Amino acid sequence: MENVPIIQFKHVTKLYDNDPPVLKDVSFEIERGKFYTLLGPSGCGKTTILRLIAGFTEASEGEILFNGNKINHVPANKRQVNTVFQDYALFPHLNVFENVAFGLRIKKMKAPAIESKVKEALNFVNLQGYENREIREMSGGQRQRVAIARAIVNEPEVILLDEPLSALDLKLRTEMQYELRELQRRLGITFIFVTHDQEEALAMSDEIFVLNKGKIQQSGTPIDIYDEPINQFVADFIGESNIVKGKMIEDYLVEFVGRQFECVDQGLDKNEPVEIVIRPEDLEITSTEHGKLKVKVDSLLFRGVHYEISCYDQDGNEWLVHSTKKAAVGTEIGLHFDPEAIHVMRLGETEEEFDRRLEAYADVDNDGE
Amino acid sequence: MYDFKGFTLDWYKELFQDTRLLIIVLNTIVVALLAALISTMIGVLGALAIHMARKRNTKNALLSLNNVLIVSPDVIIGASFLILFTMAGIKLGFYSVLLSHIAFCIPIVVLMVLPKLSEMSPSLIDAARDLGASGWDVFSKVIIPYISPGIFAGFFMALTYSFDDFAVTFFVTGNGFSTLSVEIYSLARRGISLHINALSALLFLFTMLLVVVYYFISKRNKPNGMGVGK
Amino acid sequence: MENKLTRSLYAVPYLLWIILFVVAPILLVLYYSFFNIEGQLSLSNYEKFFTPVYLKMIFSSFWYAFLITAISLAVAYPAAYLLTKTTHKQLWLLLIITPSWINLLLKAYAFLGIFGTYGAANNFLEMVGIGSKQILFTDFSFVFVSVYIFIPFMILPIFNSLNDLNPTLLDAANDLGASRWTTFRRVIFPLTIDGVKSGCQVVFIPALSLFMLTRLIAGNRVITLGTAIEQHFLVTEDWGMGSMISVFLMITMVLIMMLTGSRKRGA
Repeated sequence: MENVPIIQFKHVTKLYDNDPPVLKDVSFEIERGKFYTLLGPSGCGKTTILRLIAGFTEASEGEILFNGNKINHVPANKRQVNTVFQDYALFPHLNVFENVAFGLRIKKMKAPAIESKVKEALNFVNLQGYENREIREMSGGQRQRVAIARAIVNEPEVILLDEPLSALDLKLRTEMQYELRELQRRLGITFIFVTHDQEEALAMSDEIFVLNKGKIQQSGTPIDIYDEPINQFVADFIGESNIVKGKMIEDYLVEFVGRQFECVDQGLDKNEPVEIVIRPEDLEITSTEHGKLKVKVDSLLFRGVHYEISCYDQDGNEWLVHSTKKAAVGTEIGLHFDPEAIHVMRLGETEEEFDRRLEAYADVDNDGE
Repeated sequence: MYDFKGFTLDWYKELFQDTRLLIIVLNTIVVALLAALISTMIGVLGALAIHMARKRNTKNALLSLNNVLIVSPDVIIGASFLILFTMAGIKLGFYSVLLSHIAFCIPIVVLMVLPKLSEMSPSLIDAARDLGASGWDVFSKVIIPYISPGIFAGFFMALTYSFDDFAVTFFVTGNGFSTLSVEIYSLARRGISLHINALSALLFLFTMLLVVVYYFISKRNKPNGMGVGK
Repeated sequence: MENKLTRSLYAVPYLLWIILFVVAPILLVLYYSFFNIEGQLSLSNYEKFFTPVYLKMIFSSFWYAFLITAISLAVAYPAAYLLTKTTHKQLWLLLIITPSWINLLLKAYAFLGIFGTYGAANNFLEMVGIGSKQILFTDFSFVFVSVYIFIPFMILPIFNSLNDLNPTLLDAANDLGASRWTTFRRVIFPLTIDGVKSGCQVVFIPALSLFMLTRLIAGNRVITLGTAIEQHFLVTEDWGMGSMISVFLMITMVLIMMLTGSRKRGA
């Protein structure tokens, strides 16, 4: 049974009244004990997925399975999942102890057992000694911990986190990212984390689902998604990128900005129109003679770790460069990049086709060795 | 005022020896307490019904109906209730007065409870459900404790309104039954008397007491009660 | 599902209240307005309503309500404005609002004492040398007491809207060269018009329907719509005509509320 995914969505669609669907025919599987992130802009449907898993709302179409059993109509209070809410949703009329004990009291657990479990949960989130505090006396970060303790004390198989860090300031947020990741490892249960912050998603997750307009655009490990974005949306949403139109001349050769470049992609049709992604940090500034591209520097921003330089080529495409070197505005410079830095995206490719193509590369690579 | 000869409690003594008046005072208190209690119960349920209404139009319609008795002039409420009770065959007296008071207190309670409900984050209910609470648990362990300041405020508001009401009671009271304000009115129509002065002082003190209690409740009600828990 | 059943069950007492005590009374009043004093179905009440006697009564009721509202507004606006400028504005506000908590009857009764032949007002007039006058049971006493009673209800919404006014708007107006008067006319007043409207609403409608004050203070010299309703229901027992006037009062009320309540927020 260990191999059955803990949560499965099969062709799930969610509509509210007559509005366009919030989720369109979404299918995915969640494995036990991993840290998942649902990433996307607001209104992409990520919170809806969470609410469907928690049972706060019902799917319009499709099946939701938990441990292989259909749970579409199981009410929220009968599900083996617990949620950490965006606004924490701590009960203001109860103190810290009673907030954490809420779920256990509902289960009619004996008082001594509740006492020790709540203590344990509060220890887990480093809040020992805060039992009798009122919620209004707690800081934002502490409230966050209480909310987590309240969820884990019930020993759920899955914890859902709905943008729990969005209300915290930057420093605290980074700290909590480490803590959450650490917590998930220690508990060994499944975390499903919703965020619109791509850095957060890349830093914390085992798996990321990138969502847009009610559909999963791409799923995979943070590195896969960053290095091999499937389409313009993902490339744009995850990190910054330069995207230009191009044409696949043949295997390992692509044309853009009127020139042909060596690349590592193959298996596409000859002369197929494609989109090219090059990350700003993969572009290197050199002299105009040595550069693969000749561009004119338009503006320069100091970003602390690097300069963000915006340049234009002769076709009017913008090229964003992250470099520790400075370049004078108005001068012509050359840009160099490795063949590996070029990422080719097929137009309108679905995730399955994309995965098949990537597997095909792997096979070719293996054959070659 | 007339032949003022110093302070005396004689008028109060006389007041309390007058059993008729004593009964009237008791009537007033009993009606106010019962009306406040019952209207609070119904009003809380009403506020919940309005809050939970899914469709915007339903919500607005319920709210408008709720407010009819608040904006209507007392004379109209009194007159229409008089017709209602006569048609329904309810004898004018204690029950007609009590029913009227319950009726005009309900919307007040609703208006006192509703802001507390809308202030409550909907994720609080989700959180309770998420932690395994049944519908009844959510109601008794989360919603009621959360809105309890609103409920108390509503109860005392209702008490004050019932206590203070003259016009509606005047219409539906009939012959055998009287409350303080109706009694004062009928006495006052005959002119000034020290008898009413004492009675008025009594009513005044009662009202002020209620207002003070209400004031403290609403003060505690303020969302960020910073004063407590140092 | 059990959810749906409980959802409708708990609302039953409240819905019952709406039907029995909100909808039914209105319909009953409407129904009764079509019966004449002999209990026959007729339009005679509506015909009677347009006779000079009734029209005069309605006109005078509106006139008094208008006077009371106008005077209250004239006093309340500057008062509310000054209130917002004081340091302990909440305390002052509380002091002004407190009288509104005291039973109307008691206030009316207090004025019976003050305005009476041997009351404080006449003592004062005597002292100044004007000599004692009949103050009670005059139009003046009625309007005076009414204004006194309604002023807190007028001040409160105006104070709130003035208090909600963003002070930087005034700085902005100043900065753009507006004089104090222009600032008031072009910025402050338009932004507080909603407070004025709801203030007028909560004064005008009750002023139309007062009946206890007219009896106690005005000594039956002033007849408002409220007095007429009370008279028909409780004295002459002509419920049909009383209902007819009630219907008229309700329609007036709705019209005034539509006129003064253009904004979404209620009074």
